[in-house]
Amino acid sequence: MSKLSRLTARKALALWLLAALGLPLATGQESQSQSGKRPPESQQTEGGRSGGKLVPLDLKLPRPAFKGTPAHVPPGTNLEPPRKGPRPPLLVPPGTKNVALGRSVISSDPEPIIGSLKLITDGDKEAKEGGYVELGPGLQYVQIDLKQKYSIYAILIWHFHISARVYRDVIVQVSDDPDFIQNVQTVFNNDHDNSSGLGLGPDKEYWETYEGKLIDARGVTGRYVRLYSKGSTADDQNHYTEVEVYGLPAQ
Amino acid sequence: MKRRARFLICIFALGGAGLALRLPRLELRPMHVDEAVHADKFHTLWQAGRYVYDLNEYHGPTLYYFTLPAIWLTGVADYAHLTAAHLRIVAVVFGTCLILLLVLLADGLGRWEALWAGGLAAVSPALTYYSRYYIQESLLVFFTCLMIGAGWRYLRTRRAGWAFLAGMAVGFMHATKETCIIAIGSALLALAITAFWYRRRAPAPVASRRYLASRALLAAAIGAGIVSVPLFSGFFVNWAGPVDSIRAFATYFQRAADHGVHQHPWHYYLHLLTYWRAGAGPIWSEGLIVGLALLGLVAALRGRIFGKSVWLLRFIAIYVILITVVYSLIPYKTPWCMLSALHGMTLLAGTGAVALVRMVRSRAAQAIIAAGLIGGAGQLAWQARRANSFKYCASERNPYVYAQTLHSVVDLADWLRQIAALHPAGRDMVIKVMVENCWPLPWYLRDFGRVGYWEGVPQSPEAEAVIASSRYQAELERRLSGRYEVHNFGLRRDERLVVYIRQELWDSYLRHMQAAGQSTRKAGP
Repeated sequence: MSKLSRLTARKALALWLLAALGLPLATGQESQSQSGKRPPESQQTEGGRSGGKLVPLDLKLPRPAFKGTPAHVPPGTNLEPPRKGPRPPLLVPPGTKNVALGRSVISSDPEPIIGSLKLITDGDKEAKEGGYVELGPGLQYVQIDLKQKYSIYAILIWHFHISARVYRDVIVQVSDDPDFIQNVQTVFNNDHDNSSGLGLGPDKEYWETYEGKLIDARGVTGRYVRLYSKGSTADDQNHYTEVEVYGLPAQ
Repeated sequence: MKRRARFLICIFALGGAGLALRLPRLELRPMHVDEAVHADKFHTLWQAGRYVYDLNEYHGPTLYYFTLPAIWLTGVADYAHLTAAHLRIVAVVFGTCLILLLVLLADGLGRWEALWAGGLAAVSPALTYYSRYYIQESLLVFFTCLMIGAGWRYLRTRRAGWAFLAGMAVGFMHATKETCIIAIGSALLALAITAFWYRRRAPAPVASRRYLASRALLAAAIGAGIVSVPLFSGFFVNWAGPVDSIRAFATYFQRAADHGVHQHPWHYYLHLLTYWRAGAGPIWSEGLIVGLALLGLVAALRGRIFGKSVWLLRFIAIYVILITVVYSLIPYKTPWCMLSALHGMTLLAGTGAVALVRMVRSRAAQAIIAAGLIGGAGQLAWQARRANSFKYCASERNPYVYAQTLHSVVDLADWLRQIAALHPAGRDMVIKVMVENCWPLPWYLRDFGRVGYWEGVPQSPEAEAVIASSRYQAELERRLSGRYEVHNFGLRRDERLVVYIRQELWDSYLRHMQAAGQSTRKAGP
């Protein structure tokens, strides 16, 4: 396991424990990727306008399409180890909701191979043919316009969960600049070697499942959410079934 | 300008259009397993100057021998500097010259018919796609068309030189791929059926003559032998080669009936050509060619055609029926095998197109139909471009993609080169590959000096980099000593590779990447 990964895993665990206990968190050290700032970890505990009160984020998951992911994850691997038991709840300020539903989406591949970009925010996250958009091979992104600035606490992504696979170089950024040149904040990056040129990422690769990938965005503010990927271990194409962005209007 | 000159200009223009669709960005599609194996076989011929025919695998030697001039002309120094484009240019040349061969048949088909046939062959997505593939198929189709064209010219002129050329074409077919027996058999049977037909329905322009003189047969046999024997013997070094080339038919007859991974239903090729859609992906169809071929077939059998020779067209019609039926009945199917039948269909489709245009008498209506057909051909060209684009050239949504290597393998090789640059031994660092069907990895790792390949986990799996099938992952974890960083790549669809990089090497690579700073790379192809 890389040192960066170990560090992030420990930090995440500590943050979750402290948040679960309702304790105020110390301001985390601001890490910075090469093309986008990591949001300060302390933002999560501010609880937006709730004065520190946090509630578990209510998620509605689709039906599982397959059972089990490859259980064996070797030591030192770049893959998230399989979790035992249910996913720990993510604590967010009360009133936090999916603000991406029905929002417009653009992409680096404006002519998807399958489906339309609308599918990404249509609220249908079931694993089925016709329920996902397929983009071309190589590094591709989709970008959601939330229409106004939000404090974002969580992003939940389902790339493709009809079969088990691992998407490569998953990078999620938030910005208030539609061109993602200024004020870019990276909330997730598992490109360990900067092969996609957006900075080294400390996060781990993961198996696609019906639960989706839940990213703690720690209250980062922005209007646009951009999600990158570079194919998967199953094929070269990039897929999105649904993306949910949970937040509150920014003050 | 004389009609013949105008016709030649048009045929060469169509050849240019065909080349424009076949030539660009030849390296775009990752090397298929078969292409990589052929590249390795060519490497042996190129470096050692030696070719030994294997009656069980790899087909005949023409592909490798015709690659030599391509390499000499481009001045490639060694195998490490050879690219996919250097190899695939051979298929491009034969796939393009196939269009030009219509000059041999124009006085039989009719010039307009030949032009339509040439146009459809130029834009056919399947013919275009596999003319960019380093396999034998485009050569086989070219030599088959040469056999028919030269044979036709012999029948027209009675000159033994044409019979000799037709024989040479047969020799090249034999030295290209064992499945030539299907095309040769279909052609001979079609010739016999056509001859029988005209014996019963005199008078006929060709039937009144003797088809095959003994002198012509001798010339053809010499032509075939003069090509086939030197090629199979590695230019008179391995005399077992020509014998094995005959014995190989038994091997391939047995394989044709095998019920392995390449078994497909009888309608597989027709399905690919007429209407094909993977999931919710785009629709693909060469229905225009198939439909016009059917029209040409009806016109040929009824004898209502506007070309010069009903005899030739009937021969082609029977040949296309036979070769399509035979390929469809063989359980072993790969999509490129349909090319011989598809090319025959384009010949018939040329007649079908002219028949359709002349179905009406009004010039205006004829112009409208012709414009519609040109539009349809344009749509085929658009499909051909799409099939060869970065997005679709290796995508399962493309009907012509078959057991294709993923782009991810190209990324893997580039990534290993970057890592090797930080190793004291450079590209001589030890890499161990444990993959059951490892091709085309040897092609992509050809510039590394010390790469070993195993079909399982070896006694000592340790190396600077270990590439393994995911099925060996658990065993490797038990047996690998030392610390490794582990990454995942795709080889083919749903075939995952696990790549282990020794921890110290990985750490220095990470440090290097951090120091390298921000890249300006953007998303998209």
